[in-house]
Amino acid sequence: MAVWDLSVIVEDLGVDAPPLTIGVTSDLHIGGVILKLVEKTQIKRDWSDHALWWEQKQQWLLRTAWTLEKCGIHADARLVFMPQHKPLRLGLPNGITLRLRASFSSPVFHTVLEICKMLNIRHPEELSLLRPLEEKKKKKDKDSVEEIYDLTEVPLTSVSQPCLYNGMPAHFADSPKTEAVYKMLSVTLQPPAPEAIAKLYRPASVVDKAHINSRWLDSSRSLMQQGIRDNDRLWLRFKYFAFHDMEPKYDAVRLTQLYEQARWSILLEDIDCTEEEMMLFGALQYHISKVSQSEPQMLTSSAAMDDLESALQCLEVKMEGESSSASEMLENMTAPVLNDYLKIFRPKRLTLKGYKQYWFKFQDTSISYFKSKEESIGEPIQQINLKGCEVAPDVNVAAQKFLIRLLIPAPEGMNEVYLRCENEQQYAQWMAACRLASKGKTLADSSFQSEIESIRTFLAMQKTNSGSQGNAPTDDSINTHSLVSPRYHKKYKAKQLTPRILEAYQNVAQLSLTDALMRFLQIWQALPDFGISYVVVRFKGSRKDEVLGIAPNRLIRIDLGVGDVVKTWRYNNMRQWNVNWDIRQVAIEFDGNVNIAFSCVTADCKIVHEFIGGYIFMSTRSREKGNTLNEELFHKLTGGHEAL
Amino acid sequence: QKAPLRQETNMANFSYRFSIYNINEALNQGENVDLDALMADLCSIEQELSTISKPGGGGGGMARLGLTDTKVLTHVYQPHLAAAGHHGRPALASNFSLDDITAQLEKASLSMDEAARQSSSHSLSSHRRTGSVGTVSEHEVNEAAMRIKTMLEEQAAKLKAEKIRVALEKIKEAQVKKLVIRVHLSDESSKTMMVDERQTVRQVVDSLLDKSHCGFSPDWSLVETINELQMERIFEDHENLVENLLNWTRDSQNRLMFTERIEKYALFKNPQNYLLGRKETCEMADRNKEALLEECFCGSSVSVPEMEGVLWLKEDGKKSWKKRYFLLRASGIYYVPKGKAKASRDLVCFLQLDHVNVYYGQDYKSKYKAPTDYCMVLKHPQIQKKSQYIKYLCCDDVRTLHQWINSIRIAKYGKQLYINFQEAMRRTEAAYDWSSLSSSSIKSGSSSSSLPESQSNHSSQSDSGVSEMTSSGHARSQSVVSSIFSEAWRRGTQGEVHTHTHTHTHTHTHTAPTHIHLHTNLHTLHAGVPGISTHTPCSFMSPCMQ
Repeated sequence: MAVWDLSVIVEDLGVDAPPLTIGVTSDLHIGGVILKLVEKTQIKRDWSDHALWWEQKQQWLLRTAWTLEKCGIHADARLVFMPQHKPLRLGLPNGITLRLRASFSSPVFHTVLEICKMLNIRHPEELSLLRPLEEKKKKKDKDSVEEIYDLTEVPLTSVSQPCLYNGMPAHFADSPKTEAVYKMLSVTLQPPAPEAIAKLYRPASVVDKAHINSRWLDSSRSLMQQGIRDNDRLWLRFKYFAFHDMEPKYDAVRLTQLYEQARWSILLEDIDCTEEEMMLFGALQYHISKVSQSEPQMLTSSAAMDDLESALQCLEVKMEGESSSASEMLENMTAPVLNDYLKIFRPKRLTLKGYKQYWFKFQDTSISYFKSKEESIGEPIQQINLKGCEVAPDVNVAAQKFLIRLLIPAPEGMNEVYLRCENEQQYAQWMAACRLASKGKTLADSSFQSEIESIRTFLAMQKTNSGSQGNAPTDDSINTHSLVSPRYHKKYKAKQLTPRILEAYQNVAQLSLTDALMRFLQIWQALPDFGISYVVVRFKGSRKDEVLGIAPNRLIRIDLGVGDVVKTWRYNNMRQWNVNWDIRQVAIEFDGNVNIAFSCVTADCKIVHEFIGGYIFMSTRSREKGNTLNEELFHKLTGGHEAL
Repeated sequence: QKAPLRQETNMANFSYRFSIYNINEALNQGENVDLDALMADLCSIEQELSTISKPGGGGGGMARLGLTDTKVLTHVYQPHLAAAGHHGRPALASNFSLDDITAQLEKASLSMDEAARQSSSHSLSSHRRTGSVGTVSEHEVNEAAMRIKTMLEEQAAKLKAEKIRVALEKIKEAQVKKLVIRVHLSDESSKTMMVDERQTVRQVVDSLLDKSHCGFSPDWSLVETINELQMERIFEDHENLVENLLNWTRDSQNRLMFTERIEKYALFKNPQNYLLGRKETCEMADRNKEALLEECFCGSSVSVPEMEGVLWLKEDGKKSWKKRYFLLRASGIYYVPKGKAKASRDLVCFLQLDHVNVYYGQDYKSKYKAPTDYCMVLKHPQIQKKSQYIKYLCCDDVRTLHQWINSIRIAKYGKQLYINFQEAMRRTEAAYDWSSLSSSSIKSGSSSSSLPESQSNHSSQSDSGVSEMTSSGHARSQSVVSSIFSEAWRRGTQGEVHTHTHTHTHTHTHTAPTHIHLHTNLHTLHAGVPGISTHTPCSFMSPCMQ
């Protein structure tokens, strides 16, 4: 058979190096070509990751047993010999950019699988890659160097072992540098500066949101095939909002990154919520940042153990004490008590009297008050049990106003009572006591001190916020504007926002880090618009563009102008769906002879097809743990004509 | 010492409370107080205490159990009691009410005597009885228990009453609250029973089902009716009964009903009518229903049905009703302010669901001039009288009302509701298995020979209220047993001997004839604590006290 010359560019020789030419016959298989090439380079190294890329056809020659003839390669073919794994700049959900080696030759679905394995994220099928938004380059930003975490040095072979060292996967424990990367991945970041939030792109309409979905990469084709090159920037995001088997024990990175994605979707108004919900999200963010800062590896201690511990502590103290008589001991055994002069006001009473001062005593979950300290041995004027009541702060540090507003349930309705404290110190103690009591806990509860602390930090926050603009904020204070979307930056001043977030905060202040993260995600997932990916489509027979919302369990037809839901179809009722790749139309049949068809306007119909097939795939995952990912099924459901 | 201003004090402060109205009503109606049943309950309390005081377990658990038994340390755990003792307040509501109970019981015991004289058939009917809501609790029943035992041998109703009085006095010092409740049945009769403060609604329903032979259905419910406000609510199975009943005021005319309510679990029987936000009812295949429920309740978060629409809102303090567009979200109920679109950010929060329960309003067309009679009410459970803090909403039709109420339940309780339903279904199936079995099949099944015994253990345990088993654990044992039986059944042995089956069915509560029950209890008492002579009260005391 005739020998002919095949020239191949070897990437490793440098950009300017001339192509190597080797003599081949048409029945030489790809493996043979590679062998000849390697010999010709006379470089001794590990070439195992290298493969041939055919530039004109935009495809990899990965079947090494195939002959040149079978591949259809002739002398005019422009081939490049290069590594399949190349560095990629990966934008993570938390906004940090990571540099790592990713496969440019396998389908994106598999590439994501590998990336997630390296990053220690379980259930990689829920994530995918998308092209980032074009950033408007501002002149002054040009020079600023973005901090990049580098994982390119991590050998690919070491990733396979999932065992942990120092609480992190082995390949992160190698050097302080990679350890820092793991910390970045698994610990939530501090709230961003309000200016940073304001600067980022926010979708203003459903159509804007639809455009984001046009940027997803095709999971059945490789990065190279989709025009991605070395060191290009891509985003890694959760794409399918059906989170399977979330387990804080194993999912440190997954949970953190999901939280970050959720947080940003709220801060950037990617998903709509009410003001009350925004305040709660703000409170949770505040709490999460505080807890993750102080104790990155906080363990959840059980409440029962706390109780026992505090009781035992109490006992210990008492035993050491000198009190000998039983009654004295009894006296001491009881929970701690707060005593002080406070002012009380009952707004609902039809009296013109203002605040009146009494001697107050806080014991167990009740407040009693007396005319004076001297009379506190006798019967109180009134005793109020705070169990089940609502506690709201009304504080203005600048005006030295420290008010506790209590709404106490009683058979006749809710009694409103205001307690006025003199100073921060007093307020923090009494407020903490009221909050615990409303949950049925006493002052003896171990959380009393931490409750006081958290109230103090919040007061401090208000102080810095209300201070003059020139003052640099101290490290431990957070601008409350960092916790809410820019809409509320305009609506409320920071000092107005603080008490509102504080109000929501009291319900979450006792959560552990993991619980707080989970709570955040739960509330996010409970939002009505959660998990809907939008695409602008044109329904068959319709004259105007409409929006198709793709949710984990249903498709939603939405009016583009008004935003109203026109119709909902559930996957459960779906018989089949087809894509006509020539006219790029998706046709779906539902139970009861319901047929719909539409063409896609803002995104390729492959993206829509993948979303639907992807969600069907997600629903096939079994509840049993330890099942392996059925890659083949995913491709069958999402691949389209390429897969066949 | 002047009396504190009781009216202003919110009543939750007092651990002992009961509805005088209820107990008086029972007595006036001439019903016999079911002393036997109460006695049985007391015996079980006693038994419970004796188990507690035995050192068991290890480490912290033991320390804790040990501590609870000594008087001094009680105060660490029971600050309420400590506080009360300190100020030496003479007549707390607790003492007062207990005296009342005792007086009533004494009165009742007289009629009991009469009943005994008349015929023994009374004892059969005697468990549909009186009661009231009265919280009682206990400290060291030990001594009382010994006395009770001696008396039991005499079987004299009068003495029984006396013993009960003594026991009640002991009980009031205890840490475990018990409530004597009166449950109204749909046939206008009522039952009296003692409820442990730790018992869930499910547990109480189960015990009522066992006692009343009314057939098993997941729809049996405990319903709270608040007459004064003309509203009612089906207690959720996971709720704590005593906690809820303690919200009633002293003179409350509220009733606790035990009836079948299809609304309770209609949501799970036809989820398509509640979860899909559709306007019209429709049919759905069973497997699709299951898939829908799975999807809604078993995901990483529970999605609240998309409920929105125009409802009538009763204006505060007025008799007029105004239309508003309401939306339900997981975070609460919202409405669209005038002149705004229904974008999330513009919604106004009507109320959050943490602190309120949802009730059915009854006959509000005439009471409040409501546009229709399909009304729901949202209020804090402690509110018992008319108040501006009670929110009244009115729907155009009954469908909408049920959809809203069920959606609010989902938003409030989430997955717990589904768990409750599954549990109720399991009970029903288990009960069905039991009742379709015969004693002959029990005997024939070789694997089940030891079962009756293990079941009677269950019964004594739960009677005493100490049952360590969680409800799920209980269900497990029950379903294991029932599967063994159904296996035996499949082998072909069949038959129907109702009485026998019945005794086995009582996995955890009293059998019907009360006196039989007493014997059973006595028996287990003796068996459980061997070698106790009736005159050594000490043997009941915990070793750590000696």
